[in-house]
Amino acid sequence: MIEVQAVPEAAAAIRTSGLGKRYRRVCALSDCTITVPEGRISALIGPNGAGKTTLLRLLAGLTRPTNGELTVNGGIPRQEPAFLASIGFLAQEIPLYRRLSAEDHIGAGAHLNPRWDGESVRERLTALTIPLDRAVGTLSGGQRSQVALALTLAKRPRLLLLDEPVAALDPLARRNFLAILADAVAAGGLTVVLSSHLVADAERVCDHIIMLAASRVQLCGDIEELLAEHQLLVGPRKDTSAIERDHRVVQVTRTPRQVTMFVRRCGPVIDPAFQASDVSLEEVVLAYMGQDAPPARAQLNSIGDNQ
Amino acid sequence: MTWLVWRLHRTQLYIAAALLAALTILLLVTGLQMASQYHSALAACGASHSCATLASTLFLGSHAVGFLVIMTLGVPALFGLFWGAPLVASELETGTSQFAWMQSVTRKRWLAVTAGEMLLAAAAWGGAVSALVTWWSGPDNALQLDQFKPGRFDIMGIVPVGYALFAMALGLCAGALLRRSVPALAVTLAGFIVVRAVVTIWLRPHYLSAITVTYKLFSPFTPTGSYWQLAQGIRNPAGQLVPAANGLAIDGIPVGSLPAACAAAADGVRPTASCRQALGAFHGFITYQPANRYWAFQGIEFGIFAALAALLIAVTAVVVLRRDV
Repeated sequence: MIEVQAVPEAAAAIRTSGLGKRYRRVCALSDCTITVPEGRISALIGPNGAGKTTLLRLLAGLTRPTNGELTVNGGIPRQEPAFLASIGFLAQEIPLYRRLSAEDHIGAGAHLNPRWDGESVRERLTALTIPLDRAVGTLSGGQRSQVALALTLAKRPRLLLLDEPVAALDPLARRNFLAILADAVAAGGLTVVLSSHLVADAERVCDHIIMLAASRVQLCGDIEELLAEHQLLVGPRKDTSAIERDHRVVQVTRTPRQVTMFVRRCGPVIDPAFQASDVSLEEVVLAYMGQDAPPARAQLNSIGDNQ
Repeated sequence: MTWLVWRLHRTQLYIAAALLAALTILLLVTGLQMASQYHSALAACGASHSCATLASTLFLGSHAVGFLVIMTLGVPALFGLFWGAPLVASELETGTSQFAWMQSVTRKRWLAVTAGEMLLAAAAWGGAVSALVTWWSGPDNALQLDQFKPGRFDIMGIVPVGYALFAMALGLCAGALLRRSVPALAVTLAGFIVVRAVVTIWLRPHYLSAITVTYKLFSPFTPTGSYWQLAQGIRNPAGQLVPAANGLAIDGIPVGSLPAACAAAADGVRPTASCRQALGAFHGFITYQPANRYWAFQGIEFGIFAALAALLIAVTAVVVLRRDV
């Protein structure tokens, strides 16, 4: 279903194959095969309950997979100081000790990590006028988020896993934070996976996307390549089997007069009856999300590719 | 790790230190008073040759402080409730485990240091309270000879340290399994009371097989020192247990169980010679743990609770290391 990019082994920060996680009866993630090359900012997109958090926790080594394999930073996630030092993970619920101040957390980090840049946290929080000496429980949600993000970055990880990192931030803070991430990745040695259900965040800084829906991977790859591969074809209502044979049709919408197809091209579309147009990342995401939902009116909305 | 443990739990440790300091001052002051009261009473009774009845005539200290000392029975449970139960549970409950466990420290080390240091603190505090109470009770023990009895045995010597370790481990384990502080608290309290009661009532009397001494009714036998009496009674010539005297009795034998020769005596007449002779076939018995086994019992009981604590810590370790977060 997903074309795994041909990336040399050493250059992959994350590589999973057939990864799955069950919680008793509930399947949180199944048959997840993805590759994230080093130095990328990957957006983990998907509706609520798609398995984004489960995937991030598996990558962080907080949860162990039920089946499948994964390598993170070239090794299996494990309880080992060197591995833990290479991973930065920030959970959605912003886990900080509410009675402790930001300065206390900086102190804790300094005692618990080999590479620790406490000064960077102080600088960032001072710039944001967030008090360092107040219990973080008394800060606003957005401020707590900023503290937690700064602490996660201060660990100087090679792979940063952020679960809905910007959800609590205002638009300006969101933009600033994403800019900081982009700078950190540009400086080298860092790969980021950040989950979100907003495509706009992904478009701003991400160059790679992993799309989950219904605990399965729908799409994984370089955003530019994916945008180049996908096209929206609009044409008269006629037999589309030739196109379905040559390309992968993700979604089809038929009205009495015309047919609209969302396709992943394999080569150029040469049928002149169809007008091809480029698509936005949001359209790609929505098309793949629609795949998993049962079609409301089967005769109008057929599923292009049954995975 | 130690830095974080200290930073997270220092308030609790300060409070515990303040309470311990208050208890120390109170017991030091009253303990010194009691010791001087005891020694002057001993000197006075020595002069008047009336020391045999001193235990029943002299009351040392005050009821309030005595009650407080008895209440130290509950101190080990406090460690389990306030230190043990929330230690892992609150981290899981608030999600801070995801902060702690994503630093460059393995979960094994996190648990070893966190649990280890708090267990050590509980043992130290339990030991300090026990040492104070043991010292404070010195004159009373010498006077009443009751330090082997349940309720007194449990607040002195080394067993409170064992209880403290056990309560901490129980709290930790309940917290790790239940993942929430309040239910863990309830389970810790209930578990601690049940285990302590079961051990005290059913196990402790049998650590070493008890000694039974049979004696003639007119020369009663009393073991020396602070022995622990498990049973005492009178058997008739057929070997049946005579019910405890309640009302009119001769030599502790109630009217209903008296031999026929004593029928007249049952009406309040002085026992006749034949009645006396018939009573001679009755004998008393006492089953007890002698005073010199006190430290053996302390050691065995400490061992039991330390072993239970170790078991609970092992379960906690398995749960925490395997837990998916």
